[in-house]
Amino acid sequence: MEQGHTLTLAAFGSHLLVGLSRAMILFIVSSGLSFVLGVLRVPNVAHGSLYMIGAFAAYAVFTAVGGGSTGFWLALIAAPLVVAAVSFGAERSLFCRLYEREHLMLLLFTFALMLILDDLVKIIWGAEYRSIMAPDYLKGSIIVFGSSFPRYNLFLLAAGPVVAVALWLFTNKTKIGKIARAAAVDREMVGAVGINVSWVFAFAFVLGCFLAGLGGALVAPTVSITLGMDHDIIIEAFLIVTIGGLGNIWGAMVGSLIFGITQSFGVLLWPQFAIVFPYAAVVIVLLMRPTGLLKSVW
Amino acid sequence: MLYVEDVYKSFDGFMAVNGANLYVEKGQIVAVIGPNGAGKTTLFNLITGQLKPDAGKIIFEDEEITRLPPYAICKKGIARSFQIANIFPRLTVFRNVQVSILSQQNKSGKLFRSASNMAVKETYEILEHVGLKDIADHLAGSLSHGDQRILEIAIALGNKPRLLILDEPTAGMSPEETNRTMDLIKDLASARSLTILFCEHDMDIVFNVAQSIMVMHHGRTLVQGPPEQVKQNKEVQEAYLGGDEDA
Amino acid sequence: MGRWNRKTLLLCTALFVVLLLLPAILPRFYTYILASIFVTSLLAMSLNLVVGHGGLYQFHHCAFYGVSAYTVALLITKAHVPYWIAFGAGPLAAALVGFLIGWFCVRLSKLYFGMLQISLGSLIWALAFRWYSLTGGDDGIHGISMPDLISSTKNSYYFVLIVLTISLILMYIILKSPFGTTLQATRDNPERCEAVGINVRRHQLAALIISTFFAGVAGILYVVVEQSVFPDLLFWVFSLEIFIMCLLGGWFTFAGPIIGAAIMVSLRTFVGVYTEYWTLVLGVLLILLIFFLPEGVMGFVLDKFGTSATHRETGGSH
Repeated sequence: MEQGHTLTLAAFGSHLLVGLSRAMILFIVSSGLSFVLGVLRVPNVAHGSLYMIGAFAAYAVFTAVGGGSTGFWLALIAAPLVVAAVSFGAERSLFCRLYEREHLMLLLFTFALMLILDDLVKIIWGAEYRSIMAPDYLKGSIIVFGSSFPRYNLFLLAAGPVVAVALWLFTNKTKIGKIARAAAVDREMVGAVGINVSWVFAFAFVLGCFLAGLGGALVAPTVSITLGMDHDIIIEAFLIVTIGGLGNIWGAMVGSLIFGITQSFGVLLWPQFAIVFPYAAVVIVLLMRPTGLLKSVW
Repeated sequence: MLYVEDVYKSFDGFMAVNGANLYVEKGQIVAVIGPNGAGKTTLFNLITGQLKPDAGKIIFEDEEITRLPPYAICKKGIARSFQIANIFPRLTVFRNVQVSILSQQNKSGKLFRSASNMAVKETYEILEHVGLKDIADHLAGSLSHGDQRILEIAIALGNKPRLLILDEPTAGMSPEETNRTMDLIKDLASARSLTILFCEHDMDIVFNVAQSIMVMHHGRTLVQGPPEQVKQNKEVQEAYLGGDEDA
Repeated sequence: MGRWNRKTLLLCTALFVVLLLLPAILPRFYTYILASIFVTSLLAMSLNLVVGHGGLYQFHHCAFYGVSAYTVALLITKAHVPYWIAFGAGPLAAALVGFLIGWFCVRLSKLYFGMLQISLGSLIWALAFRWYSLTGGDDGIHGISMPDLISSTKNSYYFVLIVLTISLILMYIILKSPFGTTLQATRDNPERCEAVGINVRRHQLAALIISTFFAGVAGILYVVVEQSVFPDLLFWVFSLEIFIMCLLGGWFTFAGPIIGAAIMVSLRTFVGVYTEYWTLVLGVLLILLIFFLPEGVMGFVLDKFGTSATHRETGGSH
């Protein structure tokens, strides 16, 4: 009797933690999507692909350096930068020429970008599964709530808030961050004050993609790095951003928590259809607040 | 016919309409004047349902219409034109007006009849009246600014309204165009037995046309009455001459 | 105007006759490809009802297409329902789901509409993908039997052609009707529509039901041609591909989506021979489209050869 009670509580707690750590990855990726959505008012359909490139780039760096602890940390730093560079290239060469056109064109461009990046990944890395490993001190698991909990997830639980705070500081305390937020609300005003709106957009886009790459690099040691990673994450990110409030970073946090935790409990209660739980949560939220839980930026 | 009572509307703390009152009698031409930012367009948006007031009542033909959505208010017999030309750019001039007529006839939902044969006479009648018949098959988006403003009014006429509300119908027009528009307004009122409510920021323009003028300032109704009376009013003179933008 | 209509009518009838005769001379594979093009055309046309003519951001149209196809497949294979009843159920199911999802979506402004649709539609995909016992999961359902009348490649071709033609005629009538004209007005200026007494949301919802119904019809045709269903039918990337077809053909024209579908399906078949990187080609194609041909092929052609302004409105010409 006692045993059963503890086990259920343990399972509960353990799944909660797993859900939270998953939510952290979701947050990092969704916040990037949300930020771009807020400033450029376009959902970046290629966001998932950039996440995937982040994971593959992490793999590339990891193996190039010979693995191990240095490989891991180097990959974590370099991969998002690679993704940022790719997005910067795409933005300055083609994307920025569309800013004056209607939003639908911007969205279709991100879709084209997704298609191209997906196949480029296939060309460069092929269709096999790749993997990288976390350094020893992050490997393995510890006992929490009576069941084992991967150490790496603890790392994620710490990384999430760190990124959140860094992002908040960046967008609220730095000049460029504040300008980006102003452009989200009123781009004409920002332009009228003499600021080059195109560069503000470039900054926002690159930052958003950097976060996607960071998410991909962080998740790399825990999953098989493969084609198709992007499709799963983009749908989840879309859902999170929709329930959180378009463009709202805190909304992305709230959405990610809801999503991660409900998904985790779904796995506990109904493994085959765990996916239904977060979706059900989304539908409920949207029934109550169709425009998202937190205020959208515009 | 229309009675606006103590209406308030604020946006994030800014009081756009701060106690406005308006009464329009059937058959009248009433003008609301006031400098830019006085709240005229906001007031009109409140009347026609694009916005909901924070407080106050709006009554049309003895029925309260305060919280109705725009399409319901339109069905009650109020039609409106907008300050910025609000037309259907990818449709022809003919279709622009036809859509409105079909809506009034409650035929917008008909699926299996050809629209080309419906309400043709009524559409051309309106186009002729406002002088757009010759360009009926041009795309509305390709019209000149002045023509688009006229099309605005034509679309509103398609609803066979009893009350026609025009939001700054002469905005951005040259003096001759302005006079022509004012003549059109007078003509519409008599020819179609319309009650007309419009807003302007130049009192001299409305002087010869309106039977009753309501003056707004900072969202408040200063006074409403016949033109002569309003012109003599001390508060109005202060508001117009006391350092505000236009007069 | 009358002259033009008669000429197009003649052209269309001639085209129809040609298409009727083709299976007699074409190898079976080409007949099959043409049938595929017809199915995709119908799907693209149904999408364009609400996108090009209605101005809605319908980003996951294939959810409804797939729902219909799966409904038909499941009714035939699992419930052993008579064929023609299953065929009737498909579009109804699609329209029902269209109504449900649409009810949520029309309350939201453009972008939300699209994103929400992708989200909700993906749920359907996820269910089809994971509910192995019911839907066969990733494997899909194969070998769906068809009535003898339409089971051969040739006969399925005729069936598809006839259904496509009827559907196109219906869509044309609907677009030319007051409903269609009003729908285009809601695309151009929903605020103005409200001000002239149109309940825009209700109108858009009605348009969605019609559009998803026709998507459902396309779903039946898919099952007839392929005799199988896969979760890919429900995948959102496929939805965006159909969207591109409308753009490619010209979404403000009537027949644009058909042209777009024909080009894309042909291109994909052709390109598939040389490379497996069709996705890359599609992406590049899309970028070229965005920068150089935003009005689509039909839009470009009409710009060059159209004689009066009326040609571009309501798809008044082909």
